[in-house]
Amino acid sequence: MIPMALAISAIIFFASRLSPIDPLNSLISPDAASDPTNLAILKERLGFNDPIFVQYFNWLLEISRGNFGYSIQSGQPISEILALRMPATLELVLAALIISTTLSLLIGLVAGSNRGGLTDKFSRALAAIGISVPDFFIGLALLNILAYRVSWFPTGQRISPGQVTFVDRLPHLILPVATLSIAMLAVLIRYTRNSVLDTINRDFVKTARSKGLPEWKVMWSHVFRNSLGPVMVLIAFRLPLLVGGAVLVEAVFQWPGIGDTIVEAVTVSDYPVIMVVSLLIAVAILFASFLVDIAKSILDPRVRLGATIE
Amino acid sequence: MNEKVTSTSRLLLNNFVTNVAGMCGLLVIFLVITAAIFAEQISGYDPNLMDGMSTSLPPSTDHLMGTDQLGRDVFSRVLYGGRNSILIGITASFFGNLIGTVLGAIAGYLGGKIDTLLIRVSEIFMTFPQLVLVLIFVTFMGQGVSNVIIIFAITGWMTTLRLVRSEFLSLREEAFVEADRAFGFSKTRIIFRHLLPNTMSPIVVAFTINTAIYIIAEAGLSFLGLGVPVTTPTWGNLLSAAQAPVVVEQYWWLWVFPAVAIITFVTGVNFVGDGLRDVLDPRQRTKSKSMTMSATLKEKFFGSRRQAND
Repeated sequence: MIPMALAISAIIFFASRLSPIDPLNSLISPDAASDPTNLAILKERLGFNDPIFVQYFNWLLEISRGNFGYSIQSGQPISEILALRMPATLELVLAALIISTTLSLLIGLVAGSNRGGLTDKFSRALAAIGISVPDFFIGLALLNILAYRVSWFPTGQRISPGQVTFVDRLPHLILPVATLSIAMLAVLIRYTRNSVLDTINRDFVKTARSKGLPEWKVMWSHVFRNSLGPVMVLIAFRLPLLVGGAVLVEAVFQWPGIGDTIVEAVTVSDYPVIMVVSLLIAVAILFASFLVDIAKSILDPRVRLGATIE
Repeated sequence: MNEKVTSTSRLLLNNFVTNVAGMCGLLVIFLVITAAIFAEQISGYDPNLMDGMSTSLPPSTDHLMGTDQLGRDVFSRVLYGGRNSILIGITASFFGNLIGTVLGAIAGYLGGKIDTLLIRVSEIFMTFPQLVLVLIFVTFMGQGVSNVIIIFAITGWMTTLRLVRSEFLSLREEAFVEADRAFGFSKTRIIFRHLLPNTMSPIVVAFTINTAIYIIAEAGLSFLGLGVPVTTPTWGNLLSAAQAPVVVEQYWWLWVFPAVAIITFVTGVNFVGDGLRDVLDPRQRTKSKSMTMSATLKEKFFGSRRQAND
C-alpha cells in the first residue's frame, strides 16, 4: 500500500510540473505572489532551484504536514477547501457503502439460497438495470418524482438555510445515498448470489446439514460466512466506482462535496486542486482496500496479510 | 459416410442464433444504429434549427419527443446524438482494447520485469475512479470528440490487459508454442500470429462490454459539461440539459428521451456481450452457474435457453 501511494504521489507531482502553470503560484498565496521582486527570493526560499527529486520530497513533507498549497481560482488554501468539502462526500459515500453492502448481502443470500425464487428473479432484473442505466439518470428520476412531483424530499443541496442539526440534514441525504446505493447494489447482489450458490454445493455444507444443524444456522454460519470472501474482494474493486459515481451524484443533487470541487477545478483548470484532490482520492481508496483486506483476513483465517489470495 | 461436417465458426453462429437475449440485443443495436444513420430521413427536422415559435414544447405528433428551450426538435437531436455517442463508444472501446491486448500479450508472454511493471502501472490506474482519471486528462488535453476517445482509450485498457495476460500465461506453456520456439520463430511472430488468435474470444466479449461502458461514461462526462463540446449533440450532451433544476422539474422530455436511448442501446449491447460470452467461452458459463441437482436437471431439459437469462 505504501509503495503504491508513493508511486501515485510521484506521478501526480511530476505531472503537475509538466503542466503549463508555474507551480510557484500554487504554493504561495496570491497576495505574496503579486510583488515580482519578492518572487526570486521566494523561489529560492521555497526550494524551486533545488533538484526536482529534492523538491518532490519536500512536497511530500509539506503534504504530510497538511499544507496542500493554494487554489489558483480562489486563492484559498486547499486544506480549507478540503475541510469544507470532504465531510460531505464522506457522509455520502460511507452511507451508500454501508447500505448497499448490507442490502446486497441480505438479498444475495436470500436469492442464492432460493435459486429461481422471487427474490432471485428480482435480483436478476435489478442487475440488468444496474448495468445499463447511467446512475445519474436514476438520480434525476428520483429527483423528478420524489422531490418535485410529490415533494417528499428536498430537491438538492446538503442543508437548507437555517437548519443545523443532523436530523435536519437527514432528508437531504436520502435521495443521493439511494441513487449511489442502487448503482452499487446491482452488481453486488448478483455477485453475492453467485458466491452463495458456489458455497452451498460444497461438502462442508452437506456435512453441516447431516449433523442436523437447523437450516438457518447452516445458512448463516457456514454458507454466508464462507461466501463473504469473494464479495469483499469485489467491494474493494468497486470502491473507485463508488467515488466516481459520487462525482455524478453530487452534480445531480448539487451536493457540495469533493466531486463537485474536482468538476469545478477541471472546468477552470485549477491544477493544484485537481492534483491534491486526486491524490487524496487515490490514497483514500488504497487505504480502504487495505481495510477490506484486514476484514477479509478476520473473516477467513486461511487468508492472512502478506499471503497471496487463492 | 455422408455425414455433414460443420465448421467451428458455423457452430458458434448456430449457438448464438439460439441465444434469445443475444439475438434481441443484436436486433436492438441494428435498429438504433439504422435510426442514427438515417437521422435526416426519419426525424424530418434539422437538429440545430432553432425555432423561436415552438420552444419547450412537450411531446406531440409534430415533435415526437418535444422541443428544447431553443426550439430544437429533441427526437432529431437524439438520433443525431446517437451517431456521436455510438461512434465514441465503439472507437474508444476498440483503441482501449488494442492497448490492453498488446500490453497484455507482452506482459503475459515475456513475464519477468516487464510483466511486473505493466501490472503495477495498471494497478495505479485502477486505484483512481475512472471518471476522476478521465477528468485529470481532460484538464491537460481539453474537450472534443477525438480527445474524449483518446482519453477513454488510455484510461480503460487495464481490464483487457489482465484478461489477455492471464490467457497468455496459460497458453505460453502449450506444446504448439514450444514447437514454435523450437522452429526459431521470433517472439513477435509467436505472440501475434500464433497466440493472439487463440485469445480472440475474450477480447471480443471485452470489446462489446466496454462499448456499453464507454457510452455510459460519455453520458456522465458530458452531463458534467466536460465531455464533447455542447455544439456537437451526443446523448450525454442532451442529458446535460438536466443540470438545470427547472429542466428536471418541468421539461422531463429533455432528459428522459436521451436516457431511454442510452438505456435501450446499452442493454442491447450488454445482451449481445453476454450472449457472445456464453457462445465463445463455455468455461465462464459453467463457472458462474453452480449446479444444484435440480438445476442440473432443469438445464438438461431447457438447454441453452435458460442460460441466456442468467
